[in-house]
Amino acid sequence: MFDNKGQIKIIEAFLAISVMFSVLVLTAPMSSTPDLEKQEKLKKLGTQVLIKLDNNGTLGKLIEGENWTALKQSMDLLLPTGVFYNLTVYDENMQKVNTQEVGNSSQPGPEAVVIQYLCVTQSSDTRFYTIQLQLAWPE
Amino acid sequence: MPASSIDTFLACSIMIALVLSAMVSTSNNLSPSINELSHKNDAERFQQLAQQLLLNKGTPINWGSLRDVVPESLGLADSASSLPYELDVDKVSRLNRQNIYSLSYSQLWQLLGVSDVSFRIEIKTLFNLSTTLISKTSGVNETTYQFDVYAEKSGTPVLALLHGYVVVRDYVNNFASSTSSNGHSSILVTIPNSVSGTAILLTFAKAESNSQIVTFNVYNFSHNSSEPWPNRTFTRLNPLNYVLNVTFTYPSEEVLKALVFTYNYNFSLTEKSRSAQTVEYDIPRLLDSSPMLLVTTGLNESSSFAEWVSYPQVPLETGADFDSSDTGAKTVSFSHIVAINSVLYKIVTKWGGSA
Repeated sequence: MFDNKGQIKIIEAFLAISVMFSVLVLTAPMSSTPDLEKQEKLKKLGTQVLIKLDNNGTLGKLIEGENWTALKQSMDLLLPTGVFYNLTVYDENMQKVNTQEVGNSSQPGPEAVVIQYLCVTQSSDTRFYTIQLQLAWPE
Repeated sequence: MPASSIDTFLACSIMIALVLSAMVSTSNNLSPSINELSHKNDAERFQQLAQQLLLNKGTPINWGSLRDVVPESLGLADSASSLPYELDVDKVSRLNRQNIYSLSYSQLWQLLGVSDVSFRIEIKTLFNLSTTLISKTSGVNETTYQFDVYAEKSGTPVLALLHGYVVVRDYVNNFASSTSSNGHSSILVTIPNSVSGTAILLTFAKAESNSQIVTFNVYNFSHNSSEPWPNRTFTRLNPLNYVLNVTFTYPSEEVLKALVFTYNYNFSLTEKSRSAQTVEYDIPRLLDSSPMLLVTTGLNESSSFAEWVSYPQVPLETGADFDSSDTGAKTVSFSHIVAINSVLYKIVTKWGGSA
């Protein structure tokens, strides 16, 4: 019933189908992006919490006094329940200052946002500390 | 019809089917991304509105303290502060619908000036405090009450320093304690039997880690009398611009005492003015890092009452009710930490697509 010319066209059409469907199948997973909106909200909240804690010099006082327990308790109260966080304090030479873990998770996860905040103490010998705060929503 | 034409027709049909199915698949694959992009734009817009509400002072900048003034634009920031996220005690109090000078949601919505957006504002302390009466021991001259006070945040105990007061008629006493690692504290309060009526136990709790994190609880109980009267039965207390307006519910009422309490201090209030149904008292501007609790005790014929209000008037919730809304509109909420008179609070703003 079919001659050779017609068979080639049908083969062409099937080839085209397979190419285009494979492209669609391969590109579909790429369209699902991580939840950037939630991460952005978390980043803003974390920054705002650090700003508020630093407004009256409390943050600098807790770091200078090496009062890591009080710093953790403050962060526990200021951050929403369920948010994983890990806070690290570095001095001017980027040496880690906190001898105790400040957080509720040492590894907040691959989708954690990282906030860097510069804290200047209000004491007579002004000191600078870089605070790195990792935050993540529970999976 | 030649065989080649049938083949060509079949091939073309397959190609057309292919193109159509590709278009449908592409549309299906992209629509979530397009929706997300559109939603992201909404979220950014709502975020800006939330920032505008918390960082702007509004017009006039002291609209909160002007009891009869409806502002031209809405902003809750404290006009006396240059720090971000510092809110004005009176602007916040005017969001509470229990205050006679409060703005309605309709007014707030118009002042925000964005007709296609509905919103809700919730302000609360950073942790909770609850009080339970455990026992009562009556003696000849006095009665001792034992209370359990529990400080927690979402079920997690909070270490806190406690300072509180008990008030019955013109009797005032205070106590101090702290919560243990399980968040509980046992409080003993002794009240002389020479007084009777509705008593209130005011407890302030300050987080051990941060003196700006303070919460409070008020517990009503009866002392040598029948069941305590619920708050706001006899008076309506409206604090604004460091003046406490007391509006009586019944004409025969008499105020025995008007007091202000903070974590560290308590004072009697000075009467400012009086009319048939209202009395006004000056509220001192205390620098204590604590919410204020304003208490009035009084008599209505044979009933002795004790009523209270907090200043700033929190916790509060105002605005659209998204929980019972069945419009299906997606809502976005933002959480911020704000300071009001040096005390930190959590404010949650919720935003939805249509008013």
